[in-house]
Amino acid sequence: MENQRTVADGIRLGLRALVHAVLGGAALLAIATVASVLGPMLALDLYTPPVAAWWTVFTAITVQGVPFLLLGTLVSAAIGAFVPERVFQRVLPRRTALAVPVAGAAGVVLPGCECASVPVAGSLMRRGVAPAAALAFLLSAPAINPVVLVATSIAFPGQPEMVLGRLVASLATAVVMGWLWARFGREEWLRLPKRGGGQAPGGGPRAFVSGLQHDFLHAGGFLVLGAAAAATFDIVVPRSLLEVFTGSAWLSVLLLAVLAVVLCVCSEADAFVAASLSGFSPTARLAFMVIGPMVDLKLIALQTGTFGRDFAVRFSAATWVVAVTSSVLVGWWLL
Amino acid sequence: MRRYGPAVLLALVGAAILRVSLFSELYLRYVQAGLRPYLVVSGAALVLLAVAVAVAGVARGAAVHEAEGHEGGDGDGGGDGHEGAGDHAGHSHSDTHSHGPAGPRVAWFLTLPALALLLFPPPALGSYSAEREAAQRAAQGVGTFPDLPSGNPVDLTLGEFGSRAVYDSGRSLKGRTVRLTGFVTRDGDGTWYVTRLLVSCCAADATTAKAEVRGVEAPPVDTWVTVTGTWHPEGELGSTEAWPPVVDVTSLRRVRQPDNPYEKR
Repeated sequence: MENQRTVADGIRLGLRALVHAVLGGAALLAIATVASVLGPMLALDLYTPPVAAWWTVFTAITVQGVPFLLLGTLVSAAIGAFVPERVFQRVLPRRTALAVPVAGAAGVVLPGCECASVPVAGSLMRRGVAPAAALAFLLSAPAINPVVLVATSIAFPGQPEMVLGRLVASLATAVVMGWLWARFGREEWLRLPKRGGGQAPGGGPRAFVSGLQHDFLHAGGFLVLGAAAAATFDIVVPRSLLEVFTGSAWLSVLLLAVLAVVLCVCSEADAFVAASLSGFSPTARLAFMVIGPMVDLKLIALQTGTFGRDFAVRFSAATWVVAVTSSVLVGWWLL
Repeated sequence: MRRYGPAVLLALVGAAILRVSLFSELYLRYVQAGLRPYLVVSGAALVLLAVAVAVAGVARGAAVHEAEGHEGGDGDGGGDGHEGAGDHAGHSHSDTHSHGPAGPRVAWFLTLPALALLLFPPPALGSYSAEREAAQRAAQGVGTFPDLPSGNPVDLTLGEFGSRAVYDSGRSLKGRTVRLTGFVTRDGDGTWYVTRLLVSCCAADATTAKAEVRGVEAPPVDTWVTVTGTWHPEGELGSTEAWPPVVDVTSLRRVRQPDNPYEKR
């Protein structure tokens, strides 16, 4: 009896397996056939010139961001692992109002574009630097470092006032934003960068490796998001739109200020782009160069990742307004 | 996968960067030539970091041999859910390491460009981007230029040809035969151009340099060509009529796309 039952069970099981295998196999085969026939056709249809250009711009922004991001996360992980807090307490003035301009001017020393400065500012905050001072550094570092200033002078030959204007307007924006944060900023907007994915406690090489790995992957993910947004705007916004607005001085400043946000040109290259926008007033081009390293889609994405969305939205909006104002004032004074 | 996710991601990004910078010239489609050493160094550093992270993972894994299911890290990214990454730390081993084994979830977005670079590197920008770019010219005044090298024909970049044609008060192009290389773009009214994109940092900042070609039939759009001919002056120096410059072409040759598809600005 029992034997019969097991045999019957066995047969039933075997049959069921066979049915499943046949049905499943047939379905797989059908899917594979359809996919292999339609897939390439669909892929070719979708791979139109705009899509190809999107991929190229998207990859280009990511590829060119990686070395700078790595540099920034290296510096930030090194600060986190090897530099004790008291160093910053000794170097920076105790009063925040004074620490802000000092930190802003210290932006000169980090020769990178904006991708590098976000993780560094985060680790400065973790090391007890006043957020206002760290934010001033965050804004000024990509805008006034020597590499960027030299690039600006090459892009605008015979116009040293453009370099000076960029230096003054960027530094002013960074310092004003630092003071504004010290006065009006609220701690709860800033999701203070605790160790999100966990730096090993204490310092030393292990903390360095885990901090580096976490910061790079984290910021890298947001860099990719920002690159995707920038590439989308690059493909969607027609450049001929620019020529519509060149007539009015005010509109042209605002237009280039918006363009700086959506194009996400690296701060080491934006001077060349600004120089090529020949239809615009010098002030508008200055605004493009001041805003680009401080507010753009890629940066907003990076800041969202490092400091939280509440912070990124408020801070970027305020920075944009301050930067436009300062470029207009400096442009009116110098250019 | 969960434990090795970060190491795999780092290795993937590092490999992608090395593939385009060290093992091929493909990086020139995306960034300017000067970035190559930095790309090679970063790619190597990322691979080393991946090894270091993986070794640390193995060391920890050996301490707590625990069969973890194949979970997590299926690349869906999922917005900014990164702050939760540290929460998973507790279940794998002792409390002394508060390291989130899965790493930040948003990091999985990195697989997108990395796999694209490894499997099917996107092409260089071409006529599509050139045509939607408003024709721009370098902002500069009329002036003199250094002498051209002697001998005919002289190889010029399209950027330099354009500058000299529009701004050179010394008229250094006069009486010279020039050779220009670029891809074909066309206007609605049938005029065609040999065009090149100028890149100063990465492909996102590309602008266009072009010269109108007269005297030969246009090859299909996006064909790479080398044309030889003479400058055809038009309009006042520095005026809008002088742009784009015109070249009377006597010979046209189809060529392979150059290693560096862009000109340095």
